[in-house]
Amino acid sequence: MKVALFVTCLVDLMRPSVGFATLRLLESAGCNVHVPETQTCCGQPAFNSGDRQAALALARKTIAEFEGFDYLVAPSGSCADQIRTAYPGLFTDDPEWRRRAEALAARSYELTQFLVDVLNIQHVPGEFSGSVTYHDSCSGLRSLGIKAQPRQLLAQVPGLTLREMPEAEACCGFGGTFAVKFGDISAAIAETKCTNALAARADAVVGGDLGCLMNIEGKLRRMGDETTRVLHVAEVLAGAPAAPGGKAG
Amino acid sequence: MRSQAMFFQRRSGEALADARLRRNLDGLRDKFVGMRARAVSAYADHGTATVPNPDFEALRDAGAAIRDRVLKDLDVWLELFEHKATQRGARVHWAKDGREICEHVLAIARQHGITKVIKSKSMLSEEAQLNVALTAAGIEPVETDLGEYILQISGNEPPSHILAPAAHKNLDEVADLFAEKHGKPKKTEIPALTREAREVLREHFLSAGMGISGGNFLIADTGSVALVTNEGNGRMVTTLPKVHVVITGIEKIVPTLEDFATLMRLLPRSATGQEISNYVSVCTGTKGEADADGPEHTYFILVDNGRAGLVGSEFQEMLRCIRCGACMNHCPVYQTVGGHAYGWVYPGPMGSVLTSLYTGLENALDLPHAATLCNQCGVVCPVRIPLAELQRKLREKQTERRLRPWTERAALGIWAWVAQRPALYALAAKLGVRYLRWLADGQNYIKVLGLAPGWTAGRDFPAPQEGTFRELYKRRQENRT
Repeated sequence: MKVALFVTCLVDLMRPSVGFATLRLLESAGCNVHVPETQTCCGQPAFNSGDRQAALALARKTIAEFEGFDYLVAPSGSCADQIRTAYPGLFTDDPEWRRRAEALAARSYELTQFLVDVLNIQHVPGEFSGSVTYHDSCSGLRSLGIKAQPRQLLAQVPGLTLREMPEAEACCGFGGTFAVKFGDISAAIAETKCTNALAARADAVVGGDLGCLMNIEGKLRRMGDETTRVLHVAEVLAGAPAAPGGKAG
Repeated sequence: MRSQAMFFQRRSGEALADARLRRNLDGLRDKFVGMRARAVSAYADHGTATVPNPDFEALRDAGAAIRDRVLKDLDVWLELFEHKATQRGARVHWAKDGREICEHVLAIARQHGITKVIKSKSMLSEEAQLNVALTAAGIEPVETDLGEYILQISGNEPPSHILAPAAHKNLDEVADLFAEKHGKPKKTEIPALTREAREVLREHFLSAGMGISGGNFLIADTGSVALVTNEGNGRMVTTLPKVHVVITGIEKIVPTLEDFATLMRLLPRSATGQEISNYVSVCTGTKGEADADGPEHTYFILVDNGRAGLVGSEFQEMLRCIRCGACMNHCPVYQTVGGHAYGWVYPGPMGSVLTSLYTGLENALDLPHAATLCNQCGVVCPVRIPLAELQRKLREKQTERRLRPWTERAALGIWAWVAQRPALYALAAKLGVRYLRWLADGQNYIKVLGLAPGWTAGRDFPAPQEGTFRELYKRRQENRT
């Protein structure tokens, strides 16, 4: 099974350890994983900012890079949703590209969705000593229906206890460029999310989208919380060491 | 109402700084969200069953289908309504915009020698600034919806929520306001306050010559208007005065009473979590000979004000809206800044879309962007309006019309250009990581980010790990061979 890893631009830039954790999970599940070298971004920032032309250009590029594999897997519900849901709709006047977009969309998955719904894995390599609370990211939850999959996988991690936070499904306030354009509103929404996350009294907040996680981590620290770890679900499931470069600092 | 939507940034900033408003909004959120959730899960005796409740999801499909059926042949249904309503003795007027609404109302008032008007809630009269026009013509408008009444005596404040206009105020603020305006000792209990308002309003109910109401639905088959209220004031407004004027948008029409019944299963549950609202009135025509009460003269003012232009457009789905308020109740942005920040009549997700479409894209540049696109609004909408997608489409329209600031367009343009050139992109990402790590200066978090001050004003920015994924992956592959 040839699986192409869509790293996502945020993981590439900010937290490669998530990409390596994803690799480890896929490889330990027996996938033959490829990482197309020329990949950059799925184009969602342009799409959500209203720049359809830029979104189209990046969609064509991504489709061409990934259509030769059996599956595309991304450690992000948001990027996976862009490819699955938004791509086909971009090519309303172009039947040939629309067909290609639909073909890729049907084979594109968010990581936890792929591990559960396609591979049905029963064992994950990771170990975790302590409790976690899971934040459901918006696109993954409301567009792709990802809710049970990450919890099912976390339940397989030895030593891990899941403690649900109140309003786990509520938006964290990230919203891509919204977080910068309306930073004060975004931070206020993040504060509500963090207050709920802290109420779970877990050792770590875990989620499937790095954008949300950076928002939550940044707000927790600004609120004075220095101890609650903020981790991508891939990092917890893989139990992999940090990326070869190590943590910042 | 003159739109202040272009001042969203400033007005939302003021809202964020208002601690009392934030507390009031927190209370509102818990109440509305919880009540809807309970009503939806209990629908059709589903008890504790799965979320989402499949029966309620099917009901949402039915609701959307009814609205789409009307919108497909809106002109035909409107003609049928006009015919049926006229048959029952009502007069139907058409208004192109707010100015024409005011002209019709003033002409009717003059014709009947009206000096005082009692009103139940009508968002259309907000669109038209009707109270200003009435007052200027020497006619006294009295709001009888408790929330609207509170706002009227509070210096004609605009509503901040389409169902609960005074949702931004708490009990104590209202108690102080009543004590001041009514000149009576301050009450602290809600029943005592409502009684006090009732006593003041009773006088007006009995002395006004004209009642003005909105309409939740117009029923084409019978020529009726349906009103859904919780306070009973709507019933007084529509039956006590000798003249009743209904002001509604042309999109509020439904074909039959049966369709109305279906939508009534959705509306109160989505709005307030009630199975049914306290009062549901269906008013048809004028007072008949056998009727004990009712108006001698009934007028409908059916308003376009931008609606007809949406029919057949990519924004037509917005016309399905039945004004339940669920989208704003569940919106993280509305929950945080409240309704006034949006600057016109309608707040929240539906308001961002309607304000852009009815007052002009260029007059509400921030609104479609003031959303995280979390789509909680779309998930709770009883008629399945894809509100997040409509907001995103409005962003596209802004880009097409080159309404975005040049700095934003330039930044996006450069980024997209680079992202299509993998080698250049890899270099830019590598340098970006170096730059961010230099800013972090050995720490795990960046406290001030010059390129994105909006981020670091309210939270830290986690520093990147060392090296991009593509650099590290390449190194790993080289070591393996």
